[in-house]
Amino acid sequence: MERWRVGVDSGGTFTDICLFEEESGRVEVWKVASTPDDPSRGIAGGLDEGMRLVMPDVGEASAAAVSYFGHGTTVATNALIQHKGVPTGLLTTAGFRDLLEIGRQKRPDLYDMFADKPPTLVSRDLRLEVSERVRNDGTVEIPLDEDAVRAAGRKFKQIGVKAIAVCFLYSFVRPEHEARAKAILVEECPDVFICASHEIAPEFREFERLSTAVVNAYLGPVMHSYIARLAPRLTDLGMTATPHLTQSNGGVIGFETAAQMPVRTVLSGPSTGVVGAQAVGEVAGFPDLITFDMGGTSTDVALLKGGQCHLASEAIVHGYPLKAPMLDIHTVGAGGGSIAYVDSGGLLKVGPRSAGADPGPVCYGLGNTEPAVTDANVVLQTLNPVHLLGGRMAVRQDLAKQAIGRLADQLGLGVMETAQGIISVVTANMARAIRVISVQRGHDPRDYTLMAFGGAGPLHAARLAKELDIGRILVPRSPGILCAMGLLLTDLRADFAGTRLLSPGRGAADDVETIFAGLAARAESWFREEAIEPGQRRIVRTVDMRYAGQNYELPVTVPDGPVTAATLDSLAEGFAAAHERMYGFIAEGEAMQLVTYRIEAIGVVRKARLVPRPVVGEDASGAIRERRDVWLAEAQDFVSCPVYDREQLQPGNRIAGPAIVEQMDTTTVVLPGMTAKVDEYLNLILETA
Amino acid sequence: MTIDASPGTARDLDPITVEVIGAALESIVEETGEALVRASYSTNIKERRDCSTALFDTQGRTLCQAEHIPIHLGSFIGVVPKILEMHKVADMQPGDVFVGNDAYVGGGTHLPDIVLAEPIFVEGRITAWTVNLAHHADFADRGHAHIYQEGLRIPPVRLYRAGELQKDILDLILLNCQVPRERLSDLRAQMAANRLGVQRFQALCAKYGTDIVLSAGIALLDYAERKMRAGIATLPDGVYAFADVFENPEIHGELPVSVEITIAGDEMRLHFESPPQVRAGINMTYTALLATAYYIVKSVVDPTILPNAGLARPLTVTAPEGTLLNCVHPAAVNGRVQTCQRMSDVILGALAKAAPDRVTACSNSACTVATFVGQRKSDGSIWVYLETMGGGAGARPTKDGLDGVHVHVTNTSNLPLEALEQEYPLTLLRYELIDGSGGVGTFRGGMGLRRTYRADEDCRVRVDISRLRSRSWGLLGGGEGANGAIVCGPGVTFQRDQATLKAGQWFEVVTPGAGGYGAPEQRSKGAVERDLTESVIDVVTARDVYGVQI
Repeated sequence: MERWRVGVDSGGTFTDICLFEEESGRVEVWKVASTPDDPSRGIAGGLDEGMRLVMPDVGEASAAAVSYFGHGTTVATNALIQHKGVPTGLLTTAGFRDLLEIGRQKRPDLYDMFADKPPTLVSRDLRLEVSERVRNDGTVEIPLDEDAVRAAGRKFKQIGVKAIAVCFLYSFVRPEHEARAKAILVEECPDVFICASHEIAPEFREFERLSTAVVNAYLGPVMHSYIARLAPRLTDLGMTATPHLTQSNGGVIGFETAAQMPVRTVLSGPSTGVVGAQAVGEVAGFPDLITFDMGGTSTDVALLKGGQCHLASEAIVHGYPLKAPMLDIHTVGAGGGSIAYVDSGGLLKVGPRSAGADPGPVCYGLGNTEPAVTDANVVLQTLNPVHLLGGRMAVRQDLAKQAIGRLADQLGLGVMETAQGIISVVTANMARAIRVISVQRGHDPRDYTLMAFGGAGPLHAARLAKELDIGRILVPRSPGILCAMGLLLTDLRADFAGTRLLSPGRGAADDVETIFAGLAARAESWFREEAIEPGQRRIVRTVDMRYAGQNYELPVTVPDGPVTAATLDSLAEGFAAAHERMYGFIAEGEAMQLVTYRIEAIGVVRKARLVPRPVVGEDASGAIRERRDVWLAEAQDFVSCPVYDREQLQPGNRIAGPAIVEQMDTTTVVLPGMTAKVDEYLNLILETA
Repeated sequence: MTIDASPGTARDLDPITVEVIGAALESIVEETGEALVRASYSTNIKERRDCSTALFDTQGRTLCQAEHIPIHLGSFIGVVPKILEMHKVADMQPGDVFVGNDAYVGGGTHLPDIVLAEPIFVEGRITAWTVNLAHHADFADRGHAHIYQEGLRIPPVRLYRAGELQKDILDLILLNCQVPRERLSDLRAQMAANRLGVQRFQALCAKYGTDIVLSAGIALLDYAERKMRAGIATLPDGVYAFADVFENPEIHGELPVSVEITIAGDEMRLHFESPPQVRAGINMTYTALLATAYYIVKSVVDPTILPNAGLARPLTVTAPEGTLLNCVHPAAVNGRVQTCQRMSDVILGALAKAAPDRVTACSNSACTVATFVGQRKSDGSIWVYLETMGGGAGARPTKDGLDGVHVHVTNTSNLPLEALEQEYPLTLLRYELIDGSGGVGTFRGGMGLRRTYRADEDCRVRVDISRLRSRSWGLLGGGEGANGAIVCGPGVTFQRDQATLKAGQWFEVVTPGAGGYGAPEQRSKGAVERDLTESVIDVVTARDVYGVQI
């Protein structure tokens, strides 16, 4: 019986489906237009189509053979960027309702007096206070005023909030007050999404914990209704596997957890792309990568050195501090659907407004009249001027030309110069984004390979590489679905953590053992839920340690086996070594502290294995589909270019630019002076001569 | 004395190389700054980030700086030249580290800012300096009649000689500190940050070649200068003056302060007048005045100008010696930040006449500081806790001012309450924005903050603040911000600038609001209604000032 592992990446414009059969190792990809009004429709439809593609005789229950379903989504991140969460209430300790707005009392920019903070997600009249106070040692100074909580609940209900966050001081030490307040609010507002800060981020620093809880509440109902629509659609297709969502750290969680903790998924989509890029890059022999994931509405870039992307435990996402492990990914609001316009100063600008999937660029013919980046490519004929998606979507070049013509009139330029201008502006935007993650962090992009993916990445990669002086571009075999593929290349992963201050003295061994036993029990039950075989289970234990008095901790790995006095000695040594490595000194005689205990539980899964193919030869002429006139800035004119069919390219093939390589999910531009060669994994490697 | 000032041949570099190296230099100072924060112990550095890191060239010019607060633009300026004046370059060895803090012979702006500077050797010669500064929350509960009362004065001396700690010097410093354990740990963190700076800079030289790196440094100074000149050139030529008064709990009465700004083409001259220096800690050294002027002019003409020595070239800053704004030995300077804040708004007031659409109304004009000092019941050790508070930021030509933020030359974080109460015998009872404190206007001034503390053990508190009597001005018809205030609980008296708190007593600091911009009648009805819903204003103000009936 066939067992298919399916990865689905739902973006703003397209939904990508990657299918992998566990026994045979067969990999197939499929792509459908997203349905932004209800993304679950596009996902279920795409899954159905994809399964019928690989199992033509599947019958009614097309998804019955799905053994694993992994899903990356932009639902949470889009709602946060566009401030389209729900009306949210906040309950705080008396005297601290303004903390959400005050934050760390810093202004957003040292020198720009016109810079603003991001909007506060809960307006001041919806921030209510109740009398209660827990001290830092866990004692209760003022008991919770339950009547006041009840009154607040009634007020929230009367105003009609859709979500409530509860955040009290020291709830990470003693969560009882928060838990009780939440229980009362649940009674008073049974239909409202309610979360308490100790459930979301049980760590100290009240503002960051508060911010995380508020963002979680703000997104809760959005994620909840999304999952409530998606889950039954999958069941209707006969799927019995537990569906999973990617977290911002690249690992996955179940739908239940995601509905409770949407804040952990804000970088869900992009993180899977990085995981996919990491795997493809490793196999192809390029561990130092800059990933360039350009989609319809936004672009994500990340830097991998030696195959590793930096993992942050706390980050500021779209202006809001969030305590959740996240891959270090930089996002810009520009993509193939970004709209080009002339600003009040008479300059050509691109984005951040996007035509999205519906109506989409002008060339889709769905009623939009403002030209997007895609329209410029259609006019330049770098994109197929007749149809896209391997012939499945007709393109109206005439409409695109008219729209860019109107822009050209405003600028006093020709149509082709204007189309090329749109590409130049968007390339400069992308180059700036890449400088943020490379040169600004001390990495020279010239030392890296640019991995281009996402529907529009390979189309723009050559110009971008030229701008950044990058000599090599890697276009994976299925660049349009690398995110979806990433879901099949990573192990299942869940993190469990607890905080308790201990000194690593002799007496602590039993306490540490008990804490880890508790975490291990949670990990075990997760393993069982995920039906991970005992032989496939891995556990990594770490303790975040610091010198007493410091505020930042360093993770130290705990050796296997029971925790004994010898284990604690080894932790102390490990911490001293880590501190020396990180900061260049050991504070002799200073007391150390154990702070946060973490278990990383990994379910090792059978991954899609990329199989090398035998090298055939340099001659790629057999893959030429047609010749097309493409407008090139180098010639300031149309130049006849061969158009290659990516599916027909064989390992060892060489293509001299200028040329176009088309495939179902993307188009790659090879500029004059560049050579593209096909490696034995069918990756396309572009190099500057 | 010979200074190795020749950075090789200044080569013409392509803009990409300059940008890549410039960004690498920025990344070095950002990384060293981050290392300093993370490895430090005292709350003032690890949480509030009251520290900065920089790279200097061999002539002592700032190549690149990661300043967390703009006043540190000035705290660094004099350091390397002072070291070069007092020590022979020929005697310097790899691993030498200089420590200093003095406002008059140490290149600093007040004593708590302790600077550590280390020469970077590449191929046997000094090619640059890595320097960092941390505000050590010590030297508390002092007098401020002159600098000798304010703490230990440290000229630039070697704390390390060829990598070896000079224990005599360290012991001398630590004995003069109230919280020596924190000082030692923070100094270690500062050392570690410099070590990183040395390694990173050497690696950069190895990668691109020392000549290229140093040439890029020079090109970046020129680039900052060009941008500064281009920015100034967009302002109309002319002479613009502005005056205000300055008052502070440390002094009686009000001190008149003023500036006259002359803009001519792409250059700007700022001349300041003020009374003779006073026997209080509010005097400014010339370097602090420079930092203030650099900050405001950069903010108004082009916030993106790199904070290096090049930006100073088109500016001339003068003030008579021996006055409040250009003090000389032995004037006390500990609270100079209040004066810097007031002068920032005074400069803005003058520039408002040249370019009203590019400035804000008056911000809260203060950097409110509360310093608590006590002796722990448990072991008798002294504890010192310093915190700074935000206030209203001035309303802008197109939008409201920011509420409860740090303005102008400071921008430090608050200490999380959950860290504060863990470390000090204090309880925070309230922390909130103050209704009605922002000046009215088409665009509203930012609101001030209230912080209410309860002492859990006996202690003393000293408050540095301003605008208790005068008010922050509005622009083009905008109203004034509310005054700041000190509110005492039962049994507490605030005398001059301090109070004694018994365990269980409370004490409250209210920071000033900021001025509004434009006539209030022009404010949109929706904005007035929103302010009312959020109790930012009251019904009377809505009706009488904004003319909105509810």
